[in-house]
Amino acid sequence: MAGKSGRTIANVPEKSLKKTLLCWEGMLVVLFILINIFCASISQSYQFQNVLREMPKYLTEMFLLFPMAFILVLGEIDISVGATVCLAATMTCMASNNGLPFGAVILVCLFVGTVCGLVNGLILTNFQELPPMIVTLGTQIVFRGIAEIALGSGGSISLTNADGFRMIAGKVGIVPYIFFVVIIAAVIFSVVLAKTTFGRSVYAIGSNRLAAYYSGIHVQTIRLVIYTVMGFMAGLAALFLTSVLYGANTTTGNGFEMDAIAMAVFGGISTSGGKGRLIGGIISGFTIICLRIGLGQINMNPQLILIILGILLILAVLLPNISSRLNIKKKA
Amino acid sequence: MKKKLLSVLLCTAMVATLAVGCGGGNDGGSDSNADSGSSTASSDSGDDADSDGGESSGGGTYAIVTKSAGNPFNEKTAEGFQEVIEAAGGTAIVKHPESATADAQVSVIQSLISQGVDSICIAANDENALQAALEEAMDAGIKVCCEDSKTNPDSRQVFVNQAGVQEIGQALMDAVLDISGGEGQWAVLSATSQAANQNAWIDAMKEVMESDDKYSGLELVEVAYGDDEPQKSTDQTQALLAKYPDLKVICAPTTVGINAAAKVLQDEKSSVKLTGLGLPSEMAEYIGDDDDHSCPYMYLWNPIDLGRLGAYTSMALVDGTITGAEGDKFTAGDMGDYEVIAADDGGTEMILGAPFKFDASNIDEWKDVY
Amino acid sequence: MKENKSILKKITDSREASLFIVLIVLCVVISLRSPSFMTLKSISDMLKNNAVIMIMTLGMLGVLLIGGIDISIASTLAFSGMSVGMLMKYSVVQNTFLLFLIAIGIGALCGLLVGLIISKGKVLPIIATMGFMYIYRGLAYIIANSQWASAENLGTFKDFALGSVLGINNVIIVMVICYVIFFIVMKWTKIGRMVYAVGSNREAAQISGINTSNVELMVYTVMGTLAGLCGALAVSIYSSAQPNMLYGREMDVIAACVIGGVSMTGGRGSVAGALLGSLILAIIAKALPLVGIEAIAQNTVKGVIILVVIVLNVITQRMMDKNNLKGREM
Repeated sequence: MAGKSGRTIANVPEKSLKKTLLCWEGMLVVLFILINIFCASISQSYQFQNVLREMPKYLTEMFLLFPMAFILVLGEIDISVGATVCLAATMTCMASNNGLPFGAVILVCLFVGTVCGLVNGLILTNFQELPPMIVTLGTQIVFRGIAEIALGSGGSISLTNADGFRMIAGKVGIVPYIFFVVIIAAVIFSVVLAKTTFGRSVYAIGSNRLAAYYSGIHVQTIRLVIYTVMGFMAGLAALFLTSVLYGANTTTGNGFEMDAIAMAVFGGISTSGGKGRLIGGIISGFTIICLRIGLGQINMNPQLILIILGILLILAVLLPNISSRLNIKKKA
Repeated sequence: MKKKLLSVLLCTAMVATLAVGCGGGNDGGSDSNADSGSSTASSDSGDDADSDGGESSGGGTYAIVTKSAGNPFNEKTAEGFQEVIEAAGGTAIVKHPESATADAQVSVIQSLISQGVDSICIAANDENALQAALEEAMDAGIKVCCEDSKTNPDSRQVFVNQAGVQEIGQALMDAVLDISGGEGQWAVLSATSQAANQNAWIDAMKEVMESDDKYSGLELVEVAYGDDEPQKSTDQTQALLAKYPDLKVICAPTTVGINAAAKVLQDEKSSVKLTGLGLPSEMAEYIGDDDDHSCPYMYLWNPIDLGRLGAYTSMALVDGTITGAEGDKFTAGDMGDYEVIAADDGGTEMILGAPFKFDASNIDEWKDVY
Repeated sequence: MKENKSILKKITDSREASLFIVLIVLCVVISLRSPSFMTLKSISDMLKNNAVIMIMTLGMLGVLLIGGIDISIASTLAFSGMSVGMLMKYSVVQNTFLLFLIAIGIGALCGLLVGLIISKGKVLPIIATMGFMYIYRGLAYIIANSQWASAENLGTFKDFALGSVLGINNVIIVMVICYVIFFIVMKWTKIGRMVYAVGSNREAAQISGINTSNVELMVYTVMGTLAGLCGALAVSIYSSAQPNMLYGREMDVIAACVIGGVSMTGGRGSVAGALLGSLILAIIAKALPLVGIEAIAQNTVKGVIILVVIVLNVITQRMMDKNNLKGREM
């Protein structure tokens, strides 16, 4: 009784919001399980070890998902990450072929990625009026362009010594290393976004930038940090992608940015900023990966897979909207 | 409560979409790929759990991976492949990657390894970037050969080459010499500046040009790149015409480029003539001897035969007739005998034949074929 | 003296004027390096070859004005273009006019669907159009069924892009008509002003009696219609229909708008700006091969130019704001 009477109007929307979020992520888990059952029933090769073996290539995109979630929560977007991956992978191969020790190769890879992210961040924080989409479109063309120039005629480079990368691509039992790295990164990014002052500031900026600014949050510093981290993670993705490809070319990383954004959006992270939790993005990322692997194994037309992903993406956002509207109507 | 109900509904809706999509998928698959293999495999999955790997008595499972979806050339290659495999009682899997990149092909190869196919015949989008995936496939006992566009020697057992690089260079160079009348300026309109096939052919042409005095009157003024985009290829062709008023011949060793260039030249009634490598069905409108047509003749090979030879090679690799070593010989059905020879890159290859010439006399019979 | 100042002020005051100067500088630099650039034929070629992007820029202007975005347009274009190509390949329809109508109809339907999802379903534009980007592109592949429609299949349809009226190519005429219509509608009609109103302040527009969701629906439908039209135009211009037509070029269209000073948050931008923005991109594409920049560096140069132009935009805007403030102080 006391609890009920203590419920204020201001409390109600917050609670229901929390409930919807819970619902959405809970639903994603259900969907994840359903999709796995579904895939296992349509393809007899959809077995645990096969899925784990196919996963590393897809998991590289997950690295981009984590910082992308931060950027989306800010209400911004970065479409240059695919090109950053390309440039970092190219430089990594070149460094490795020039005989640098593997440790230094890793540093080169992460450094190139970080610099690309820093460039984005510097342009965006110095010219705040510019829309991130257009700036990152420009840098996307430039980063890939630099990779093209570096690769020169032939447009492709292979590792002359892939030993270090073979090590990265290794496994513990049947679980590839990258899996653990993704989990560690997932935990770090989730905790930072959900539990730290930094993470809360990101939400604050995403919901109302001006208010956040006036409440003393260093908006531009935070943006700069996030874009730089995005670049760093793109470098990490490039490192693992190189271990899957043993080389790089001008199309490496093509479309990664859209995949990462799709995973985040499907996980309930709004592109308008201020909403969503990383855990949703992570579950949805694994859901999409499993779906792709399963449908790939029954040799479905790849364009149809894209159509299905497109429909799912729209439904994922459309249905909750419709349901909340219906609820509002009923209440009224 | 309502929320929960709703979320259950939502899930059902999504799974329903999926199910519908998949139903369509199988239809689409068997329509566009005529991929009866996959549908039979999934329908009789109940009684033969290990049908993929252990079905050697039934002829095995052979996969072909194309460069990209929605391209008639790739489609014809796949058709030829399928026809031979199915005639031999095997199961053919045709796989198109999601986009024309090596990244996408890696996922496709991984998926084929999971399915436990016997062989993979691949047209590589990148020479090097498939190495890890293809090595893994070979470690899993899958035979790997390339067609159309090769990978590096470490990631293949043999390359089914459509036509020798030297032969293509020679044929194109002679065409340029013939069309220009022996002297004058000429230019190349290629795909991207990184396209491995095109670069090899252009280099071969340059070598041929230097090797003989009869080409001394020819001057190669520029190699332009249209990125296999109609718009950019059009821009580049117009730029060539504007920059070199004395240009006589353009050679475009790429199907999209030659098409765009042919259109520009024909529309402008330019005196510049064109040759190169193109699809007959795409180029039929532009091939002819008179001034109304911009391309007197061009070359290409037969994609159907290429697919068929790829299929015979796959089967020979799987049943152990050849191992991909230099000097191996085998009989490719009614196509005759082929021998594995050493390739320039240190690996091995076999050559389908000389490039085929399409001119006004034979274009009509070929334009409906591919 | 005073008059002089006001002219100078007018120039620095107007975004379009400063863009126009950039355009002229670009043209002069290019024609110094390549005299063949400034010929009538070369310009006509350029306009024809970029007509598709330029027309879609208009639709994108409307979308951006209300604060939306549409990245599905290149897919819509491929879908409508491919449909037209296949209809001709299998000799279902041969009439050029009818084919254009069909392409426009398909585009309008695609746009309507996008608009419904966005305006009635309240889905964010970037997500909805990203979904449709995959869907329409996939549909283009599926109806193509691994076939291309080539010059030979296109019969009289491809003659449309060759024909001309009064010496001006048909394609350019279509483009000019689109621009004139848009100019008039955006500037002088109620509909045009409603778009601006919704974009500058949606709530205020709603309160003042504008049905904002209908305006949104209309804008996306128009965008789809133009993309459909461009599908037919592209098939006619290049005499070829392939399912990967203009893959990824939606970004060029958005870039053209932004270079032309259209704000991505809505409410600001003009048809003249869109025209100048898309012209600048067209000139860059045309000029890079002409001035002899290494093919391998062309993309990098293009990207750098885009970045420089938008940064210049911001700097001039800041100067303008400063000047305005100065005026107030006095």
